Amino acid sequence: MIIPVRCFSCGKVIASDYKQFKEKISELSAGGKKPTPKMIVQTLDDLHVERYCCRRMILSHTDLIDEVLPFS
Amino acid sequence: MPLKIIESSERFIRFSVDGISPSIANALRRTLVNDIPKLAIENVQFHHGQIRDTEGNVYDSSLPLFDEVVAHRLGLIPFKTDLKMNFRDECSCEGKGCPLCTVTYSINKLGPSEVLSSDLQAVDNPDLVASDPNIPIVKLSEKQAMLVSAEAILGRAKEHAKWQATSGVSYKYHREFTVDKEIFEQWELIKNSCPDAVLKEDKKSITFTDDVPHRQIVQLFEAKGVRIVEDDTRFVFKFETDGSLNALEVLDYALKRIPQRINTLLDSVVSTD
Repeated sequence: MIIPVRCFSCGKVIASDYKQFKEKISELSAGGKKPTPKMIVQTLDDLHVERYCCRRMILSHTDLIDEVLPFS
Repeated sequence: MPLKIIESSERFIRFSVDGISPSIANALRRTLVNDIPKLAIENVQFHHGQIRDTEGNVYDSSLPLFDEVVAHRLGLIPFKTDLKMNFRDECSCEGKGCPLCTVTYSINKLGPSEVLSSDLQAVDNPDLVASDPNIPIVKLSEKQAMLVSAEAILGRAKEHAKWQATSGVSYKYHREFTVDKEIFEQWELIKNSCPDAVLKEDKKSITFTDDVPHRQIVQLFEAKGVRIVEDDTRFVFKFETDGSLNALEVLDYALKRIPQRINTLLDSVVSTD
Protein backbone atom coordinates (compact mmCIF):
# COMPACT_ATOMS: atom_id res chain seq x y z
CA MET A 1 0.00 0.00 0.00
CA ILE A 2 2.41 2.64 1.27
CA ILE A 3 6.02 1.95 2.22
CA PRO A 4 6.30 0.78 5.87
CA VAL A 5 8.02 3.31 8.13
CA ARG A 6 10.52 0.85 9.58
CA CYS A 7 12.14 -2.41 8.57
CA PHE A 8 10.03 -5.28 9.98
CA SER A 9 13.07 -7.18 11.26
CA CYS A 10 15.58 -4.67 12.60
CA GLY A 11 13.61 -1.44 13.05
CA LYS A 12 15.68 0.85 10.83
CA VAL A 13 13.68 3.70 9.31
CA ILE A 14 13.48 2.89 5.59
CA ALA A 15 10.47 4.94 4.45
CA SER A 16 12.55 8.01 3.66
CA ASP A 17 15.15 5.94 1.80
CA TYR A 18 12.50 4.40 -0.44
CA LYS A 19 11.77 7.75 -2.07
CA GLN A 20 15.44 8.42 -2.84
CA PHE A 21 15.84 4.87 -4.09
CA LYS A 22 12.94 5.26 -6.50
CA GLU A 23 14.30 8.59 -7.77
CA LYS A 24 17.76 7.12 -8.39
CA ILE A 25 16.38 4.05 -10.13
CA SER A 26 14.22 6.17 -12.42
CA GLU A 27 17.32 8.27 -13.18
CA LEU A 28 19.24 5.10 -14.02
CA SER A 29 16.47 3.76 -16.22
CA ALA A 30 16.09 7.00 -18.17
CA GLY A 31 15.83 6.44 -21.91
CA GLY A 32 14.56 2.87 -21.63
CA LYS A 33 17.75 1.45 -20.09
CA LYS A 34 17.45 -1.27 -17.48
CA PRO A 35 19.57 -0.79 -14.34
CA THR A 36 21.94 -3.71 -13.80
CA PRO A 37 21.94 -5.62 -10.49
CA LYS A 38 25.30 -4.00 -9.70
CA MET A 39 23.80 -0.53 -10.10
CA ILE A 40 20.92 -1.42 -7.76
CA VAL A 41 23.36 -2.80 -5.17
CA GLN A 42 25.40 0.40 -5.43
CA THR A 43 22.28 2.55 -5.03
CA LEU A 44 21.28 0.71 -1.85
CA ASP A 45 24.82 0.89 -0.47
CA ASP A 46 24.91 4.64 -1.11
CA LEU A 47 21.69 5.01 0.89
CA HIS A 48 23.33 3.04 3.76
CA VAL A 49 20.69 0.32 3.48
CA GLU A 50 23.15 -2.49 4.13
CA ARG A 51 21.38 -5.38 5.86
CA TYR A 52 19.31 -7.68 3.68
CA CYS A 53 16.28 -7.32 5.97
CA CYS A 54 16.11 -3.60 5.12
CA ARG A 55 16.92 -4.20 1.46
CA ARG A 56 13.99 -6.54 0.94
CA MET A 57 11.66 -3.90 2.43
CA ILE A 58 12.59 -1.54 -0.38
CA LEU A 59 13.12 -4.01 -3.23
CA SER A 60 9.91 -5.99 -2.70
CA HIS A 61 7.60 -3.06 -2.06
CA THR A 62 4.71 -2.21 -4.41
CA ASP A 63 3.29 1.25 -3.92
CA LEU A 64 -0.48 0.94 -4.33
CA ILE A 65 -1.65 4.03 -2.45
CA ASP A 66 -2.19 5.96 -5.67
CA GLU A 67 -4.50 3.19 -6.90
CA VAL A 68 -6.80 3.38 -3.87
CA LEU A 69 -6.63 7.16 -3.56
CA PRO A 70 -9.67 7.84 -5.84
CA PHE A 71 -11.87 5.48 -3.81
CA SER A 72 -11.40 6.91 -0.32
CA MET B 1 37.54 -2.62 31.03
CA PRO B 2 38.91 -0.14 28.46
CA LEU B 3 36.43 0.97 25.83
CA LYS B 4 37.83 2.18 22.55
CA ILE B 5 35.77 3.94 19.91
CA ILE B 6 36.85 2.73 16.47
CA GLU B 7 34.59 4.90 14.36
CA SER B 8 31.66 7.10 15.23
CA SER B 9 29.29 9.45 13.49
CA GLU B 10 26.00 10.99 14.52
CA ARG B 11 23.99 7.86 13.80
CA PHE B 12 26.58 5.07 13.78
CA ILE B 13 29.23 3.85 16.18
CA ARG B 14 31.74 1.00 16.26
CA PHE B 15 33.69 0.40 19.44
CA SER B 16 35.62 -2.33 21.22
CA VAL B 17 35.48 -3.37 24.87
CA ASP B 18 38.38 -5.25 26.43
CA GLY B 19 38.38 -7.80 29.23
CA ILE B 20 34.70 -8.70 29.46
CA SER B 21 32.87 -12.03 29.26
CA PRO B 22 30.20 -12.87 26.67
CA SER B 23 27.48 -12.49 29.32
CA ILE B 24 28.45 -8.88 29.98
CA ALA B 25 28.73 -8.19 26.26
CA ASN B 26 25.24 -9.56 25.79
CA ALA B 27 23.92 -7.50 28.71
CA LEU B 28 25.25 -4.40 26.97
CA ARG B 29 23.69 -5.47 23.67
CA ARG B 30 20.30 -6.09 25.23
CA THR B 31 20.43 -2.78 27.07
CA LEU B 32 21.21 -1.02 23.80
CA VAL B 33 18.31 -2.78 22.08
CA ASN B 34 15.52 -2.44 24.61
CA ASP B 35 16.38 -0.09 27.45
CA ILE B 36 17.14 3.28 25.85
CA PRO B 37 14.39 5.86 26.38
CA LYS B 38 13.16 7.89 23.43
CA LEU B 39 10.14 9.88 22.30
CA ALA B 40 7.37 8.27 20.30
CA ILE B 41 3.75 9.15 19.66
CA GLU B 42 1.41 7.32 22.03
CA ASN B 43 -1.99 9.02 21.67
CA VAL B 44 -3.48 10.31 18.42
CA GLN B 45 -6.70 12.27 18.00
CA PHE B 46 -8.24 12.58 14.55
CA HIS B 47 -10.64 15.35 13.69
CA HIS B 48 -13.63 13.75 11.98
CA GLY B 49 -16.05 15.75 9.86
CA GLN B 50 -15.61 18.77 7.66
CA ILE B 51 -12.40 20.79 7.67
CA ARG B 52 -12.39 24.34 6.31
CA ASP B 53 -9.38 26.29 5.09
CA THR B 54 -8.93 30.06 5.48
CA GLU B 55 -10.83 30.75 2.25
CA GLY B 56 -13.85 28.75 3.37
CA ASN B 57 -13.30 25.74 1.09
CA VAL B 58 -14.69 22.55 2.58
CA TYR B 59 -12.54 19.42 2.87
CA ASP B 60 -13.40 15.91 3.99
CA SER B 61 -11.51 14.26 6.84
CA SER B 62 -11.63 10.70 5.45
CA LEU B 63 -8.24 9.24 4.54
CA PRO B 64 -7.16 6.54 2.09
CA LEU B 65 -5.72 4.56 5.01
CA PHE B 66 -7.59 3.51 8.15
CA ASP B 67 -7.10 5.83 11.10
CA GLU B 68 -5.42 3.08 13.15
CA VAL B 69 -2.93 2.44 10.33
CA VAL B 70 -2.09 6.15 10.22
CA ALA B 71 -1.79 6.21 14.03
CA HIS B 72 0.57 3.22 13.90
CA ARG B 73 2.72 4.92 11.27
CA LEU B 74 2.82 8.09 13.37
CA GLY B 75 4.00 6.02 16.33
CA LEU B 76 6.96 4.62 14.41
CA ILE B 77 8.35 8.03 13.43
CA PRO B 78 11.52 8.90 15.39
CA PHE B 79 11.70 12.30 17.06
CA LYS B 80 14.70 14.16 18.42
CA THR B 81 14.67 13.29 22.10
CA ASP B 82 15.59 15.24 25.19
CA LEU B 83 16.68 12.71 27.84
CA LYS B 84 16.01 15.25 30.61
CA MET B 85 12.30 14.70 30.14
CA ASN B 86 10.39 12.56 32.65
CA PHE B 87 8.68 9.26 32.06
CA ARG B 88 4.96 9.81 32.31
CA ASP B 89 4.41 7.35 35.16
CA GLU B 90 7.29 8.85 37.17
CA CYS B 91 6.37 12.48 36.49
CA SER B 92 5.20 14.98 39.09
CA CYS B 93 1.87 15.23 37.23
CA GLU B 94 1.13 11.63 38.30
CA GLY B 95 0.42 10.35 34.80
CA LYS B 96 -1.98 13.05 33.71
CA GLY B 97 0.42 14.47 31.14
CA CYS B 98 2.28 17.77 31.49
CA PRO B 99 4.99 19.64 29.54
CA LEU B 100 7.66 17.82 31.59
CA CYS B 101 6.65 14.41 30.27
CA THR B 102 4.64 15.02 27.09
CA VAL B 103 5.27 16.64 23.72
CA THR B 104 2.22 17.54 21.66
CA TYR B 105 2.35 17.47 17.86
CA SER B 106 -0.18 18.58 15.33
CA ILE B 107 -0.74 18.03 11.62
CA ASN B 108 -2.88 20.33 9.54
CA LYS B 109 -2.61 19.47 5.89
CA LEU B 110 -4.88 20.01 2.91
CA GLY B 111 -5.03 17.79 -0.15
CA PRO B 112 -4.02 16.98 -2.77
CA SER B 113 -0.66 16.31 -1.15
CA GLU B 114 1.55 13.81 0.57
CA VAL B 115 1.69 14.12 4.36
CA LEU B 116 5.32 13.85 5.47
CA SER B 117 6.88 13.57 8.91
CA SER B 118 8.08 17.18 8.53
CA ASP B 119 4.40 18.25 8.64
CA LEU B 120 4.31 17.22 12.30
CA GLN B 121 4.73 20.42 14.24
CA ALA B 122 5.64 20.30 17.90
CA VAL B 123 3.63 22.63 20.08
CA ASP B 124 5.96 24.55 22.50
CA ASN B 125 9.04 22.42 21.62
CA PRO B 126 10.28 23.54 18.20
CA ASP B 127 13.53 21.55 18.65
CA LEU B 128 11.90 18.17 19.03
CA VAL B 129 11.15 17.65 15.34
CA ALA B 130 11.04 14.35 13.48
CA SER B 131 14.65 13.29 12.98
CA ASP B 132 13.84 12.19 9.43
CA PRO B 133 11.80 14.84 7.57
CA ASN B 134 10.84 12.73 4.55
CA ILE B 135 8.87 9.81 5.96
CA PRO B 136 5.56 9.56 4.09
CA ILE B 137 2.61 9.11 6.45
CA VAL B 138 -0.37 9.14 4.09
CA LYS B 139 -1.46 10.63 0.79
CA LEU B 140 -4.40 12.98 0.42
CA SER B 141 -6.44 13.35 -2.73
CA GLU B 142 -8.39 16.40 -3.74
CA LYS B 143 -10.91 17.71 -1.20
CA GLN B 144 -9.32 15.63 1.55
CA ALA B 145 -7.63 17.14 4.58
CA MET B 146 -6.00 15.89 7.72
CA LEU B 147 -6.32 17.54 11.12
CA VAL B 148 -4.62 15.52 13.81
CA SER B 149 -3.13 16.11 17.22
CA ALA B 150 -0.80 13.62 18.83
CA GLU B 151 0.96 13.17 22.16
CA ALA B 152 4.47 11.79 22.34
CA ILE B 153 5.95 10.35 25.53
CA LEU B 154 9.18 8.69 26.58
CA GLY B 155 9.28 4.92 26.59
CA ARG B 156 11.55 1.90 26.27
CA ALA B 157 11.63 -0.69 23.51
CA LYS B 158 10.76 -3.56 25.86
CA GLU B 159 7.27 -2.11 25.89
CA HIS B 160 6.90 -1.41 22.16
CA ALA B 161 9.31 -1.39 19.20
CA LYS B 162 8.39 2.22 18.39
CA TRP B 163 10.60 3.21 21.34
CA GLN B 164 13.59 1.37 19.89
CA ALA B 165 16.33 3.93 19.35
CA THR B 166 18.94 1.54 17.94
CA SER B 167 19.00 -0.97 15.13
CA GLY B 168 21.50 -3.55 14.01
CA VAL B 169 23.12 -3.88 17.43
CA SER B 170 25.73 -6.62 17.16
CA TYR B 171 29.07 -7.72 18.51
CA LYS B 172 31.81 -10.11 17.53
CA TYR B 173 35.12 -11.28 18.95
CA HIS B 174 38.22 -9.36 18.06
CA ARG B 175 39.98 -11.53 15.48
CA GLU B 176 43.58 -11.61 14.31
CA PHE B 177 44.86 -13.08 11.06
CA THR B 178 48.57 -13.87 11.17
CA VAL B 179 49.77 -14.31 7.62
CA ASP B 180 52.93 -16.18 6.71
CA LYS B 181 54.37 -14.00 3.98
CA GLU B 182 56.07 -16.91 2.19
CA ILE B 183 52.99 -19.10 1.90
CA PHE B 184 50.30 -16.45 1.29
CA GLU B 185 51.86 -14.17 -1.28
CA GLN B 186 48.96 -11.76 -1.90
CA TRP B 187 49.43 -10.18 1.55
CA GLU B 188 50.75 -6.96 0.07
CA LEU B 189 47.54 -6.44 -1.89
CA ILE B 190 45.51 -6.58 1.32
CA LYS B 191 47.99 -4.35 3.12
CA ASN B 192 47.71 -1.70 0.44
CA SER B 193 43.94 -1.76 0.16
CA CYS B 194 43.29 -1.60 3.91
CA PRO B 195 46.34 -0.27 5.78
CA ASP B 196 44.25 0.40 8.91
CA ALA B 197 43.70 -3.33 9.36
CA VAL B 198 47.41 -4.05 9.91
CA LEU B 199 48.21 -4.69 13.58
CA LYS B 200 51.88 -5.63 13.35
CA GLU B 201 54.40 -6.63 10.75
CA ASP B 202 57.85 -8.17 10.72
CA LYS B 203 60.03 -9.82 8.10
CA LYS B 204 58.28 -13.19 8.11
CA SER B 205 54.68 -12.41 8.96
CA ILE B 206 52.02 -9.74 9.02
CA THR B 207 48.94 -9.55 11.27
CA PHE B 208 45.58 -8.18 10.17
CA THR B 209 42.34 -7.64 12.05
CA ASP B 210 38.77 -7.47 10.75
CA ASP B 211 37.45 -5.16 13.49
CA VAL B 212 36.38 -2.92 10.63
CA PRO B 213 35.09 -5.26 7.92
CA HIS B 214 36.77 -5.00 4.55
CA ARG B 215 36.04 -6.94 1.40
CA GLN B 216 39.71 -7.85 0.83
CA ILE B 217 40.12 -9.43 4.28
CA VAL B 218 37.40 -12.00 3.61
CA GLN B 219 39.78 -14.07 1.47
CA LEU B 220 42.00 -14.69 4.51
CA PHE B 221 39.37 -16.97 6.06
CA GLU B 222 40.05 -19.82 3.64
CA ALA B 223 43.63 -19.11 2.60
CA LYS B 224 46.62 -21.32 3.34
CA GLY B 225 49.36 -19.92 5.57
CA VAL B 226 46.96 -17.89 7.66
CA ARG B 227 46.47 -18.48 11.38
CA ILE B 228 43.20 -17.10 12.76
CA VAL B 229 42.98 -16.32 16.47
CA GLU B 230 39.83 -15.05 18.15
CA ASP B 231 39.99 -13.29 21.50
CA ASP B 232 36.90 -14.13 23.56
CA THR B 233 37.57 -11.36 26.07
CA ARG B 234 37.63 -8.55 23.52
CA PHE B 235 34.40 -7.57 21.80
CA VAL B 236 33.82 -5.34 18.82
CA PHE B 237 30.35 -3.75 18.91
CA LYS B 238 28.49 -1.75 16.34
CA PHE B 239 25.05 -0.21 16.16
CA GLU B 240 23.15 2.57 14.48
CA THR B 241 20.46 4.88 15.83
CA ASP B 242 17.33 6.19 14.15
CA GLY B 243 18.39 9.80 14.73
CA SER B 244 16.31 10.38 17.85
CA LEU B 245 19.52 10.28 19.87
CA ASN B 246 23.17 10.63 19.05
CA ALA B 247 25.02 7.28 18.89
CA LEU B 248 27.47 8.37 21.60
CA GLU B 249 24.60 9.57 23.79
CA VAL B 250 22.97 6.14 23.48
CA LEU B 251 26.18 4.34 24.43
CA ASP B 252 26.71 6.65 27.37
CA TYR B 253 23.18 6.05 28.61
CA ALA B 254 23.46 2.27 28.17
CA LEU B 255 26.68 2.07 30.18
CA LYS B 256 25.03 3.95 33.04
CA ARG B 257 21.88 1.88 32.73
CA ILE B 258 23.51 -1.56 33.22
CA PRO B 259 24.47 -1.00 36.90
CA GLN B 260 20.95 0.35 37.53
CA ARG B 261 19.42 -2.80 36.06
CA ILE B 262 21.69 -5.04 38.13
CA ASN B 263 20.85 -3.08 41.29
CA THR B 264 17.14 -3.58 40.59
CA LEU B 265 17.83 -7.31 40.57
CA LEU B 266 19.91 -7.12 43.76
CA ASP B 267 17.19 -5.12 45.54
CA SER B 268 14.52 -7.63 44.65
CA VAL B 269 16.50 -10.58 46.08
CA VAL B 270 15.24 -11.30 49.60
CA SER B 271 17.16 -13.47 52.00
CA THR B 272 15.21 -16.37 53.45
CA ASP B 273 16.47 -16.16 57.04
